[in-house]
Amino acid sequence: MNVLLVILFAITLIYLSITERFRTYATLIGMQGLLLFALSFLELETITLGTLLFVAIETLVFKVIVVPFLLLRIIRKTGIERVHEKALPGFYSILFVSGGLLLSIIVSFSMNTTPVNMIYFIVSFFAVYTGLFMIISHKKIFAHLIGFLVIENAVLLLSLAIGSQIPMLINMGILLDIFVSVLILGIFVMRLKQHTHELTMLKDE
Amino acid sequence: MIALLLAIITALFFPGIIIRVKSLVSGRKGPGIFQPWKNIFVLLRKSSVFSTTTSFIFQIAPVIYLASLVCALILLPVPGIPSRFGFGADFVLLAYLLALGKFFFIIGALDTGSSFEGMGANREALYSMLAEPAFFILFGTLALLTGHLSMQSIFEQFHLSGYNSMIGGIIAVYVLIQIAMIENSRMPVDDPKTHLELTMIHEVMILDHSGFDLALIQIGTNLKFALYGILIANILIPVTWALPYRIALFFGIQTAFAASIGLMESFRARKKMMKNPQFIVTLSSIALVGFILSLLMMYQLIR
Amino acid sequence: MENILITLPVFLSFVILFVPSKGRYYTTLFISLGIVLITSVPAVNVIFSKGVLPEIFHIATGLGSVTLSIDGLSAFFILVTNFTAITGLLYSKGYLEPYRSLKSPAQLSIHNFSYTWLHLSMLGVLMLRDGIPFLIAWELMAVSSFMLILFEAEKRATLKTAVNYLIQMHIGLVLLVIAFLLCEADTGSMSFDALKFYFSHHSNIGLFLLFFAGFAIKAGFIPFHTWLPEAHPAAPSHVSGVMSGVMIKMGIYGIVRVMTNVQSDLVTIGLIVLAVSAISGILGVMMAIVQHDLKKLLAYHSIENIGIIGIGIGLGAIGLGIHNPLLALLGFSGGLLHVLNHSLFKSLLFFSAGSVYQACHTRNIEQLGGVIHKMPVTAGLFLTGSLAICGLPPLNGFISEILIYLGLFQGLSTGTVYQSIYMLMAIISLALIGGLAIYCFTKAFGVVFLGVPRSETHTATSEVNTGMLFPQFLAGTLMFLIGMFPLLFLQPLARILVFLFQINMDLSWITIIRSISLVGKMGFFLIGLTFLLFLTRYWVLKTRNIRQGPTWGCGYTTGTARQQYTGTSFADAVAGLAEPILKTQKEDRPISEEEIFPAERSFATHPADVFRLGLNRLVDFLMLILKKLARLQTGNIQHYILYAFIFMILIFVLLYLKIL
Repeated sequence: MNVLLVILFAITLIYLSITERFRTYATLIGMQGLLLFALSFLELETITLGTLLFVAIETLVFKVIVVPFLLLRIIRKTGIERVHEKALPGFYSILFVSGGLLLSIIVSFSMNTTPVNMIYFIVSFFAVYTGLFMIISHKKIFAHLIGFLVIENAVLLLSLAIGSQIPMLINMGILLDIFVSVLILGIFVMRLKQHTHELTMLKDE
Repeated sequence: MIALLLAIITALFFPGIIIRVKSLVSGRKGPGIFQPWKNIFVLLRKSSVFSTTTSFIFQIAPVIYLASLVCALILLPVPGIPSRFGFGADFVLLAYLLALGKFFFIIGALDTGSSFEGMGANREALYSMLAEPAFFILFGTLALLTGHLSMQSIFEQFHLSGYNSMIGGIIAVYVLIQIAMIENSRMPVDDPKTHLELTMIHEVMILDHSGFDLALIQIGTNLKFALYGILIANILIPVTWALPYRIALFFGIQTAFAASIGLMESFRARKKMMKNPQFIVTLSSIALVGFILSLLMMYQLIR
Repeated sequence: MENILITLPVFLSFVILFVPSKGRYYTTLFISLGIVLITSVPAVNVIFSKGVLPEIFHIATGLGSVTLSIDGLSAFFILVTNFTAITGLLYSKGYLEPYRSLKSPAQLSIHNFSYTWLHLSMLGVLMLRDGIPFLIAWELMAVSSFMLILFEAEKRATLKTAVNYLIQMHIGLVLLVIAFLLCEADTGSMSFDALKFYFSHHSNIGLFLLFFAGFAIKAGFIPFHTWLPEAHPAAPSHVSGVMSGVMIKMGIYGIVRVMTNVQSDLVTIGLIVLAVSAISGILGVMMAIVQHDLKKLLAYHSIENIGIIGIGIGLGAIGLGIHNPLLALLGFSGGLLHVLNHSLFKSLLFFSAGSVYQACHTRNIEQLGGVIHKMPVTAGLFLTGSLAICGLPPLNGFISEILIYLGLFQGLSTGTVYQSIYMLMAIISLALIGGLAIYCFTKAFGVVFLGVPRSETHTATSEVNTGMLFPQFLAGTLMFLIGMFPLLFLQPLARILVFLFQINMDLSWITIIRSISLVGKMGFFLIGLTFLLFLTRYWVLKTRNIRQGPTWGCGYTTGTARQQYTGTSFADAVAGLAEPILKTQKEDRPISEEEIFPAERSFATHPADVFRLGLNRLVDFLMLILKKLARLQTGNIQHYILYAFIFMILIFVLLYLKIL
């Protein structure tokens, strides 16, 4: 079951790299949050119930509800609908992302981890690669934000993989989550009132 | 041989079900299930008009297209019954026989000297070229999972037991369905009902064929659908079941496949022509994800 | 006895220079047939002998004794070379016919003489094992092909191309000389057999890469390929066919010969060869798609097929390295069978292209079209060649490709994780190469032969004469034979390889034999079924009322030939996707904003080779430096005496300081 959810996570990443509309970005981030929520229940069986509930509910609240809501609000307020002016056409994005998949397999296999966590490592590295690639290949700052959120999801996925041994790591991952949501998105939404037009024209040429 | 018979039987009702589902979904009653084949029989009895620009290529292209499809069907195994022609890596021969049919189809289209056919030929060549790697990655995955190379052994060994092989099976079926849609020029790559030549792919290549040739091509298209249907059935049907159950499940899967194509066509819009290569390469990426899964399973790295 | 038999053709070839023009062709043919007979008989003996034992001849020349040895590998390549050389010669009779009035008899004699010497030097390369004779034969091959390319030397572009070719061949020669010298410095002998000794106590990779670079320039791997797409169109068609069909295979021969002596690091070497070949294959065919010169397109396809051969050889090397005999045998047999197949269908394609050039006087496909109506036989032969080069059943290209696929899929399941990954990448490359080849050849065949002619001046008037068609039929028949009876050719090749590499073959080869024989049977079935369906159709249509009419033009009544899809439009889909690699040069003047009534504009696109552009930049940089140095060349003799005087003072100073 875990493997299925992780594979679905990887497929959302592939879809993320080719999609055109910002709304889909928000929906995909929400879906990733949902997958992580389910995974947190299935993977972290050995830590105390209290911590587990905290992790699960935090993931649910922040990743599935708050973040997509804030993203959709930004989209509505600034009226940006499509991903204009990518620095890279869509065909090359998917080629680079497939290359990233192969790269993450090679990197994971050369690390000789325990067998159970291999798929998590592969997909986490792939997610980090995809997030970084999104930041590099897009011009709008909104896409950069999405890339950062993807990297953050990757970090959480990785911490879930080894979380049974190091519960503190998960807590740190959660804190990163809250930090990101509050700081970045809060600033975005607050600042939007004054500089609405700047957001859509940021980094345009 | 059995695959050929089953394919003919499937092809008899396949296009009819697709059209019927589409009609019912859009609120109409729709034509009968066997209407497409009645059309084909009418075509078989008609005479032909040949363009003065064409040469002998135009005369032999539909024949070779159909012949290569029939040979490909002979190669296929059916769940539980091996093909007499099966051998190691025979799916390579399958892919290349289909490519032979496509080659002649394309040059048959270019023979007419019309710009429309050139457009369609160009796109058809591009999309089939991009879909090849997905097909091979898919079979590489199955070969890796089962450790065998001939289609019959692969499908015999491939059990849908355990979550991981089920995921592999789902990815395989998804990729196969999408490849089938691309190869037969269906949504979201091409709309079979469009009348705009500038946006056609498959339909525009057969604009100048008429009568007997057009009938041969339409028979070929229906058989192609049946071919992919048999491949999907091979993945999904366990060989351990008794023969009557397998037959029933086979026809159930074909009906479900046809119905799902009808539903997909009714509810999905066509993609922009420029976005199609991207879409097809995405299939290869998804197949690659399936390959990673089988790689991990093969080296016993996940349960 | 053998002494005389072998040196006789060498001396007889000089007779070609003195024979009157009437008998020149038949003299050349006679001598070539003699050469073919003398070399093929021992080759066949070697292949079918028990244990594939080599035959060795010692020729006593005035300068010492020369050893010619024919082992299994050489025998195979000798047979391949002989067949294509003879078909090329047969074709050249008809092809050179229009040039008889344009060229002087001396030029034509030199041309035939160079052709014979190309044949002889290629055979020499295959049979000589010692360093210096091998390099002499290699150089002779370069020089004779240089003379052949220069057939139309009155064109400045041809001259430039030929000189470029000669320079690049010499760069390859320098690399080979360095490699041989390194071997000699260590072992004392410059022969291939000494390499075995060298490799046993030195690192294998360095020297192998040096040899690989030297041979890769001849073979045409990317990035060493820049001479190929220029030399093949410049040469006359029969020469292009021979060069593309067999001469570049000498590079492959050299690589395999060195590989037989390699003892360790085989997996790394195999991986390097595999990577270079996969890149060559994909880039080669992508660059072929955008060409609008028919022979340049075919030349880029040679690069692609060398890539496929390299994938097979790399796979074989990996198989040897991991001690998997099935993998090794599949890889090498696939690669070497593709050598045979490629020589057949590439020479066929070049000969057909030459026929088209002779009939229509242009190689630009944008000006051709509808050639099939006047030249149906050539069209059918070109179609056969296209089907074979795309690797489609029932022809021979498919046999070698499925062997390589079998090897790659075997390697997928048996080995480490990394091996599975790079086997998969090789499979993806091979699948892409096949798809791109289909794309390219539907374009080439469709635009040249089908439709209506695109320009009134470049239309074919009639079919070429039978003399030019006969060698193409020979090649075509052999292609069908290999496709339908593959085991006839695969079994001897497998035996050669087993004895060459000392592979311990086991029973799994029997399943491969069964697979390939089934492929052959399927080819039969396909052809039979096609025939049956066609007969049915013919019988049905006889009773119907067939009408002719114009192509449906969507309501347009006055369609012109320019409305057809051009080659560039057809290639545009891939060219658009592969924009960063294919730097298409566009010539146009954009309309500026101040131009209210724009003047007439023209637009042209030319395909450009990225590697050639890089090479040009390197050469320009060198020229910059050399121009600065050229200031020393003043033309004034007093300055030169001054230089000599300065040099003498320099020597004295260095002697005084005891440096020298």
